[in-house]
Amino acid sequence: MKSLIVTMAVVFLITFLAAPTMGAGWFWDVGNGIGFAAFAGLLYLTIASNRRLDVRAHQILGYAVLLLVVGHAFWFLLGDATVVEFIKIGAPDYMLLGIVSLILFVVLITTANVPDRLRVHQNYPSFRYWHRVLTIVVIAGAAYHIAVSNFYLGTWYQAGLLALISIAVCFGRAYWIRLGQIVIASAAAYLAISTMLIAVFAGLRNLPA
Amino acid sequence: MKLVLLAILAAAGLIIVFGSPVAIEVPVADYYYESPVPILPMSFAHADHTTENCIDCHHNYNDDTGGGPCMNCHTTNQDVWPLFERQFHDLCRSCHAEKAALGEAGGPPRHCIKCHLGDDLP
Repeated sequence: MKSLIVTMAVVFLITFLAAPTMGAGWFWDVGNGIGFAAFAGLLYLTIASNRRLDVRAHQILGYAVLLLVVGHAFWFLLGDATVVEFIKIGAPDYMLLGIVSLILFVVLITTANVPDRLRVHQNYPSFRYWHRVLTIVVIAGAAYHIAVSNFYLGTWYQAGLLALISIAVCFGRAYWIRLGQIVIASAAAYLAISTMLIAVFAGLRNLPA
Repeated sequence: MKLVLLAILAAAGLIIVFGSPVAIEVPVADYYYESPVPILPMSFAHADHTTENCIDCHHNYNDDTGGGPCMNCHTTNQDVWPLFERQFHDLCRSCHAEKAALGEAGGPPRHCIKCHLGDDLP
């Protein structure tokens, strides 16, 4: 649970490093708060995937993260009829990469479950390798989507920190393993912490000082 | 689970093709300002921007490129049309975001529909 709180707090704290009260309205800030919670969940899933993995807990938390990823996308698609124009052909690369990351995350989840996993991968090491590669691609795409959209992470050091954390999570596996066995947090705990952080994220940016 | 994921992807596809079924305000894309392809309507009121320096937007006062309303060139000139969306998003959003960061009233910094409902639409 501690690792989850730290991971999520770090992601949200980066957004507050510059212009912490700058908001774009409740609708926009809540929608993006959901996105930040989803990204933090993705990082946590990667950090907590050590050798003695509780596969079922990992799987359930993966679905919870997917819920927020999809929630982030549908929040904007349903709530603002203009947003759909921003994801069609010709959209900025950071929007297209956001969509690619979402689709790859769905692929990441569906190809990890038996029996589909057995259809795609001939053996377990092959699955682990490609699951990991796909995770890195999803995190890289999502980090680019966040950093280049250039609103909450409007400074070079915020974007740099997000990139640094993403790289550390993706390639610091040797270190994460040394942290010892991480008990994967429940989906309920993840969603509860997400709700609180989203409320703080949007509240600070919209409530009168 | 696969069925749920398929349903989600199908729902996203339907929204992309037919638009949001719940959004209250819906912009109508059209050939505004003689644009070569349908574009979203845009709202801009000079009256709300009288405290801004004219030259911040009207670059032609300074560099002698074009004249008259912005759209005379930006939707019809083959050289600048491809940059249309990016240029106007950068110009409007950066200024609105700057004001939001300073805590000043400065219009919507991001919410798309706030600018794209158009001046003449209800």
